[in-house]
Amino acid sequence: MSREFDPVAMEVFSNRLLSITEDMGNTLIRSSFSTNIKERRDCSVGLFDARGRLIAQASHVPLHLGSLMGGVQAVLKTYATGDMEAGDAFICNDPYLAGGTHMPDISIVSPVVIDGAVQFFTANIAHHSDVGGSVPGSISGAARTVFEEGIRIPVIRVASRGVVSDDIMRLVCSNTREPEERALDLNVQIATNARGTALLESLSDRTGLGKVLGAVDDLLAYTNRRLRNRIALLADGSYSCTSYLDDDGQGGDPVAIAATVHIAGDALTLDFTGTSGQARGAMNVPESALRATVYYSIKTLLDPNLPPNGGMFEAIAIDAPDGCLVNPRHPAAVGARSITCNKVARAIFGAFAPLLSDDSVMAAGHDSIPAIVFSGERRGGGPFVYLETVGGGSGARADSDGMDAVHVHLTNTSNLPAEALEHEYPLMVDEYGLVEDSGGAGQHRGGVGIARQIRAMQDDIVFSIRSDSHVIGAPGVFGGAEGATASLIKNADGPDREELSSKVSHIEMKAGDSMRLETAGGGGYGAPETRAPSALAADIRDGLVSRENAEQDYGGPFVEQAVLTAEGEMG
Amino acid sequence: MFRLGIDVGGTFTDFTLLNTEAGSAIHYKLPSTPQNPAESIRQGIPKLLAVAGIEGKALGFLGHGTTVATNMAIERRGARTGLVTTKGFRDVLEVGRQLRPHLYDYSQIKPSPVVPRRRRWEVIERLSFDGSIETPFLEESGAAVAAALAEAEVESVAVCFLHSYRNSDHECLMRKMIKAALPDAYISLSSEVLPEFREYERMSTTVLNAYLGPAMATYFEDFVTSAKALAPNIEPYTIHSNGGLMTAATVRDHPVRTCLSGPAAGVVGAAESARSAGLPHIITYDVGGTSTDISVVRDAKPTFTSDRQVAGFPVRTPMLDIHVIGAGGGSIAWLDDAGGLKVGPRSAGALPGPVAYGLGGTEPTLTDANLVLGRLNANALLEGTMPIDIGAARAAIENKIATPLGLETDKAAFGIIEIAVANMSRAIRSVTTERGYDMADFALFAYGGAGPLHAGELALECGIPRIVVPDAPGTMCARGILLSDIVHDLVRSAVAPADSVSWLDVCRLFKEMRCEGDRLLTRDGVLRERRTFRYFIDARYVGQNHEVRVPMEAIGQGDFRAFLKGFSEYHTLEYGYDIPGRAVETVNCRVQAIGDVTRPEQRFSQDSRSLDEAMTERRSVYFGAAWGWLETPVYRREALPQHKRIEGPAIVEEMSATTVILPKHSAALDGMGNIVIEVGL
Repeated sequence: MSREFDPVAMEVFSNRLLSITEDMGNTLIRSSFSTNIKERRDCSVGLFDARGRLIAQASHVPLHLGSLMGGVQAVLKTYATGDMEAGDAFICNDPYLAGGTHMPDISIVSPVVIDGAVQFFTANIAHHSDVGGSVPGSISGAARTVFEEGIRIPVIRVASRGVVSDDIMRLVCSNTREPEERALDLNVQIATNARGTALLESLSDRTGLGKVLGAVDDLLAYTNRRLRNRIALLADGSYSCTSYLDDDGQGGDPVAIAATVHIAGDALTLDFTGTSGQARGAMNVPESALRATVYYSIKTLLDPNLPPNGGMFEAIAIDAPDGCLVNPRHPAAVGARSITCNKVARAIFGAFAPLLSDDSVMAAGHDSIPAIVFSGERRGGGPFVYLETVGGGSGARADSDGMDAVHVHLTNTSNLPAEALEHEYPLMVDEYGLVEDSGGAGQHRGGVGIARQIRAMQDDIVFSIRSDSHVIGAPGVFGGAEGATASLIKNADGPDREELSSKVSHIEMKAGDSMRLETAGGGGYGAPETRAPSALAADIRDGLVSRENAEQDYGGPFVEQAVLTAEGEMG
Repeated sequence: MFRLGIDVGGTFTDFTLLNTEAGSAIHYKLPSTPQNPAESIRQGIPKLLAVAGIEGKALGFLGHGTTVATNMAIERRGARTGLVTTKGFRDVLEVGRQLRPHLYDYSQIKPSPVVPRRRRWEVIERLSFDGSIETPFLEESGAAVAAALAEAEVESVAVCFLHSYRNSDHECLMRKMIKAALPDAYISLSSEVLPEFREYERMSTTVLNAYLGPAMATYFEDFVTSAKALAPNIEPYTIHSNGGLMTAATVRDHPVRTCLSGPAAGVVGAAESARSAGLPHIITYDVGGTSTDISVVRDAKPTFTSDRQVAGFPVRTPMLDIHVIGAGGGSIAWLDDAGGLKVGPRSAGALPGPVAYGLGGTEPTLTDANLVLGRLNANALLEGTMPIDIGAARAAIENKIATPLGLETDKAAFGIIEIAVANMSRAIRSVTTERGYDMADFALFAYGGAGPLHAGELALECGIPRIVVPDAPGTMCARGILLSDIVHDLVRSAVAPADSVSWLDVCRLFKEMRCEGDRLLTRDGVLRERRTFRYFIDARYVGQNHEVRVPMEAIGQGDFRAFLKGFSEYHTLEYGYDIPGRAVETVNCRVQAIGDVTRPEQRFSQDSRSLDEAMTERRSVYFGAAWGWLETPVYRREALPQHKRIEGPAIVEEMSATTVILPKHSAALDGMGNIVIEVGL
């Protein structure tokens, strides 16, 4: 039993296994049809061992970290490996029945049979742009139950011995608004696993199955050991932080997310006791999405280059009370979980702050994923739906200001260029820029938010938004100031200017009406009066901080001095 | 006649002089002079002429590759630049694609734009997506901005208005106003630098062009003047990132196109050398001290991309698709606290360098592992001019790696090589599978100092059946310059549903671009019979946001069906399927205007010495646990006879590189000076 740990073989096989996931990821992205998978890369692939432990993952969004695991475990619960054959594939998406993260994320899991037994699973998950339900795109903040969020797929066998079931494909695709694209992409997902399976078979052929399995054990043990070493360096004890959503999507009071990290030796538990009850709307976080959020946070905080695999997950325990926002009861809606996930990350980062050295602490960022949706008729006829998630400021750090205008935490998705948007839809971008005075003041300033103002060029455009941080700003650290909150304003430049709330839907727009979203800024790091005068003067010259605000945050004499010094240096 | 290729790298400037009558080549190397990049050229040419024993007027061609622009961007030594854009959009340069550089590591931050916000101005004007005027150009606001630019004393200005790729009128108006206020400023218009839609990428490319413009113009003037003084009969060329040559006039307007100049020349040279060796599909594998460049060549054509970053900023001009991996001879081997053995990404570089070089390096590198295992010759490095301390290298590997892991030193050293190869292999596999290629169809073209040293293991790991090591692998870039054509890449955006009506617009655009191509080649002095034009249309299915590049034989009114057919074919080739009946949209029209520059041939002598005569020694070399230490013949490359089989294990040494031929591999020198190794998978 006591096989010796072989560091060279482990590193070599780790590269070989990652190559397989990268090949699968390339296949999935290259061959898929929809922009969501191909351009936004809202998909992930992974390899698992026969026990359902993740071996390697190619993930393009942290929100998918470990989220394939839910699907694979559901497959193992539903079917005995003895009943699986080469060429089989299973499909699932349901957060309650099959470990899904929300309905649009459909997983395909395929067993890899070598020497007559299931040795591995190949798996992938992709965000489909529509899976039916009450609204186009299948995500409605107002949804009360998963039944409104699209077709529910428990674990079912979609392919047997290499033959895809037409019946099941028709059933699934007919329940979506774009059946042709769904079918194309689902077939690509199945083919992606087949590609991974062939590569695993060939690797095991070339080197022997035993060597592959040995290296897998070494890799998981190594990863576990490496993370436990990081944890062991932290002081024992319990540390808590609470973050808030502005509301639960149906109006009302802020909703608390309480995170407590317990450290005991090299063991780490994240406990969400104290978190508010589940939301009435779709802001709830199902188990898979919560795990992804926790894994993302710990990897980022303790070891950004830690390989994401089962060895990492085994070192982390998660506890969330039944029926709370981050462990909702069936059939609570979960479609809009991503904003909540970012606020969960804020609470975890906050809880860790006293455990880390001052120079690895980061102030809170905008910690939201505001999604704006415009829909209506295209210029040439036919419906359109344009969805975009907008970045904001990230938190300041010990060594730098926060980044301006970025996605933070669980997503990192690019924008649609104004020129592409205007070609495609009867809309015009009036402004796309930075929000002045939105970064929290400090020795290092929080990143600033984004202003995106879009005008309807024809009548009957319908607008919806899921956003947050319109009420509660990003806290600073060590005396750094809070970042500015987000806002949504209709007709910002007109006499009928009107501020709207963060989660409104079905707002009618006439030709000439505009919507202006200003996203939140990040929190500052350190006391404002310790900021380098030249950095403050540069912010003022660049108009990122107004003189007036600077005087409030940094004090009049300090600003005066900074500006004078900078002018002197410039000659 | 003599032809001269010069590659100005960050550390060295390489010269290759080819005697076209005799087919013989001379290689020469000088340290680069980053303070004044043209200086190493000015010094080198007379020295090289003296070595060759010829006069400057015997030179009939001079081409040069340079990384001066890239280094200037990385070190942020460009001009004081201003940006003028449409009202509401001055921060586009800063927002970019709203992405953070690393998913988990927040210490990696976005680079700040080369034009700070205080030098970015907005003008009241607005075009619609179809190029029509939504808000007319407000002269007063243009004049105010021109005055502000003058007040700010900028040296160069980038102008980028929304949708200007459809209508450049407002940008041209703005240029006039800037010229009036700042007669000496270097001005770049986005409608001229890159008339392609998607504002951030167009703006970024234009800004970088303006940022590099003034200093590059000075450098080129310097370079052209000194080159002409030394060699009166030549019109010096520069190679651009797409692997083609351009004249000094083009470089002055488009300095941003030189960003990948040197490496691109290497790939062109590799593609051309491999083609003449009968190998149209290759993966180029150029290993240096700190990094490795790889690229894919299919059907003797390098792969292009317009999706590259320079110093963290997108540059959308067409470039050869070269991927850089942070692994090279100087990569450091280290242990983490969980018992993992890692190689790189940290590198000992030239200083302190590998432990064996005795220049202060204390951490074992890939080069140290190669020395300890006998793969690199301790006496022959740089022809014996560099003292090597193998004992120190061995001790470093033993103390820092082998003992803590409980491994024998040989095995630990070999583990370092295996891990470095595994890292590189993964990167290569990712580049090829991204495009859906099967590596069994490729040969590995290994060059740079350390490419031929690891090519055997790499080919085995990747499943590549054959390796080619060209003559003088360390000078591929300078030689590639002698094998390039003049190339102008032209592009116009034409986003429209593809139908027989819009096709007429496409035809008109191509006609205009063809005329422009002719005009440019005329300016370059290329004779009509030496001109070739290649046509491409970027297109996609309606609803997609990514394009497929469709090459077209011709673009006339009757070619619409051929385009649709070509689109289906290329969509299938690229993505594995097509969707018959689904509407197609055109996005960009592209023309490559090519001026054929005669390719000289290098010839290799065919004497019939025996292998034994080429052998310099036998030494013990370690080939991994399966083989252990083997007595291995070592050959001098210059003395190798053609077409004589060398069965591995064997080592071939030359001035600039060492080739390792593994046990069971079999090699021979072909008639073109290449060592071709059969891997025998």
